[in-house]
Amino acid sequence: MIQLYKMAWRDLGRNRRRTFFSMLALAFGVALLLFMASFVAGEMRGALQSAIKLQSGHLQVRAASYNEDKTSLKWEDLIENPDALAAQIAARPEVQAATPRLYATGIVVAGDTSTGVRVIGIDPASAASAPFRDGMVSGDYLTTDDRGGLLMGKTLAGKLKLAPGDTINLLVNTSNGDVDQQSFVIRGLYSTGTPGYDESTIFLPLAKAQAIARAEKHASVIFILLKDQDQTDAVAAALAPAYQVKTYIQLNALLSEWEQFANAYMYIFYLIVLGITATVIINTLVMSVFERTREIGILAAMGMKGGRIMAMFFAESSLLAVGGIAIGVVLGSLLSAYVQRYGFFIGEMGITGILIGERIYTYLTLNDIVTLTIMAFVITLLAALYPAWLAAKMEPVEALHSGK
Amino acid sequence: MRLYLRLAWRNLWRHRRRTVIVAVAIGGTLALMMWYDGLVSGFNEAIYGNAIRVLGGNIQIHAAGYGAEVEQLPLLPLANDQALVQAAQAQPQVQAAARRINTGGMATTREGAFGVTIVGVEPDQELPVSLVAQKVSAGRYLAADDQDMVYIGHGLATAMGVGIGDRFTLAGRDTHQQMRSRTMTVVGIYDLGMPDIEKRNIYITLSEAQSLYGLEGQVTEIAISLKQVGEEPAVMNALRPSLAGAEIVSWQTSFPELEQALATKGGAMNVFSVIMMVIVGIGILNLLLMAIYERTREIGILGALGLKPHQISILFVLEGVLMGVVGVAVGVALGLLINGVLGQVGLDYSQFSNITSYMALISGRVYPTWGVEKLPQRTLTVLVITTLAALYPACEAAQREPAEALHYV
Repeated sequence: MIQLYKMAWRDLGRNRRRTFFSMLALAFGVALLLFMASFVAGEMRGALQSAIKLQSGHLQVRAASYNEDKTSLKWEDLIENPDALAAQIAARPEVQAATPRLYATGIVVAGDTSTGVRVIGIDPASAASAPFRDGMVSGDYLTTDDRGGLLMGKTLAGKLKLAPGDTINLLVNTSNGDVDQQSFVIRGLYSTGTPGYDESTIFLPLAKAQAIARAEKHASVIFILLKDQDQTDAVAAALAPAYQVKTYIQLNALLSEWEQFANAYMYIFYLIVLGITATVIINTLVMSVFERTREIGILAAMGMKGGRIMAMFFAESSLLAVGGIAIGVVLGSLLSAYVQRYGFFIGEMGITGILIGERIYTYLTLNDIVTLTIMAFVITLLAALYPAWLAAKMEPVEALHSGK
Repeated sequence: MRLYLRLAWRNLWRHRRRTVIVAVAIGGTLALMMWYDGLVSGFNEAIYGNAIRVLGGNIQIHAAGYGAEVEQLPLLPLANDQALVQAAQAQPQVQAAARRINTGGMATTREGAFGVTIVGVEPDQELPVSLVAQKVSAGRYLAADDQDMVYIGHGLATAMGVGIGDRFTLAGRDTHQQMRSRTMTVVGIYDLGMPDIEKRNIYITLSEAQSLYGLEGQVTEIAISLKQVGEEPAVMNALRPSLAGAEIVSWQTSFPELEQALATKGGAMNVFSVIMMVIVGIGILNLLLMAIYERTREIGILGALGLKPHQISILFVLEGVLMGVVGVAVGVALGLLINGVLGQVGLDYSQFSNITSYMALISGRVYPTWGVEKLPQRTLTVLVITTLAALYPACEAAQREPAEALHYV
């Protein structure tokens, strides 16, 4: 075995330039795929983290009959005395923050234009509101007892040509099925770096939102962030009997569907790109078989079995694979480490169904590296099959008499 | 030159196996690109095709300034709407020209609230051309003299839990920024098989929209339906003189986010294809380097016969280019095959219909086109990279000393 590898190593060394280029081709392929994988993983991870931070939390507690597709404000569908419940949940050791939120549907009217928005009543002081507080780009943040101000996303303000201090008309649905309107002053603009969210969400202090939606002392959900994401199921189980509890996984089902879909496409890409690198390896090995026709003849004449001759070529391709993959993993990791640090600007894609940030940070997982390494290795070995078979089926006598 | 071509072509096929493998690699790369291009234009066709049939009209005319705020559906009245309708109807390619009011609103019941787009329509004009008007699944379409009647989608009816004869509150705003809400009765329900579109668009009569939203006798849009897709530019040009400042657009320019998304993805795909071609290029480089060693003696003979070094290098560059050409041929064949099959079968994207507003227009399957839209560019990329890959071996070949090369065994 070791002897085979020794021979393979020497054979590769005989034409260093060719060996180097073959490895380089494989390395480019691996690096490209690794970068793509880390890009997709980063996109998905970013989207999930944004969703947890902004939209779903780790857990949501709701009234048993609440249906999130309808944004109902009927009192039966809401949580009564949410402050007490939130305080009780927040007292649990695993919980980082628990805060009541009220969801309503609204229309912002400004000048000639109007646009549909989601109106969210939040507790401005809660730790769970940090993304909005920290994301303030101009104007002032909300205060708990503000009765005439709201917080608007930077993207939406840009589209409606509004600035802090401007007055808008806000139409909001109410618990009795009607619509109410009131004018509000824009206190400030926030940005979460997720244009799809910023252009469709407006914040009011919870008490004001309850007043305009006629849902006093009620909230749609208790929004819960945990200290450790892995404890989600345990906490959900502890809260479950009394209320409808949803975990971030249930609340982001679309995202995981999208991820599966993206991964399926990734595997097709893996196969195609590695298939193309395989052709480079096949050609290299085929050439090396024909250069060494005489040698193979000698080896066979000396009693080397076809199987061992094949094994020699497999050894050669596995050495190529190891070298190429190693270079590729290093190249790919460097590239994705750079983008992980500085991000990749994709701008606004009009995606509102899932929260894709305007800047994507790659995320390289060990899992991707291992999967890709194994796949690249197997495909490169398979690439040796044809050249090895060509070598093994040579007739020793004829091979000995061949030109070189 | 023809002699070089002949020589290069012969050299190319001296090692059939190698050439075929390289051609397959080039072909595979090109086929992948064609598949992607086909999918993108399939997407475009599905979205724009449905936009015309569902949202109505190949061409829209709006007041000046509307386009900049198109997502917010501004209530900007068109100044000379009657004259424009007549001008449009005078065009032979035009099937119908319908006046409309589009505005954002909210449909609410005690069960919940839904943001909607309210479209005020002239039922008589819309009925022959609008798919929405034809796909009645319960009740009936609007009639010109309906009062407080609303025509909604199956998706919205299900979500709100309302049926024919049920009532809900429809809130909107008028031109003075004041809220206008009215209790409406569901007169009909349409079913397009596109739940997200059905949830979003609801229809009332134009006269009702005019009185509700403070636009007496005015409209915000003229939607022009053509007899055939593809005649948009001609009709748009014919209508330009009568516009008097109004904006005219076709659907191709109506989804700015779609353009942006496609541009970003397309850019990434271009980089991707170049890297893949570089990998293939390395294969070609390797192959030609080998060929030089094999043909050392030949090169010596050519040199001895009086071929200049640069002439020898032309021979090798040509060989690389020809390899690219063969690869392109293989790729086109493979690409057409893949897209031909997928064009029949289609790809299912329906589960992602609510990710973006334009995705909602995809009614189930997307059928890729042949993917030849960008073929010239793709071919050029392949040829440039194969040529570059051949340059280094070609220089190497040219540097051989004829006398030494001749003595090489």
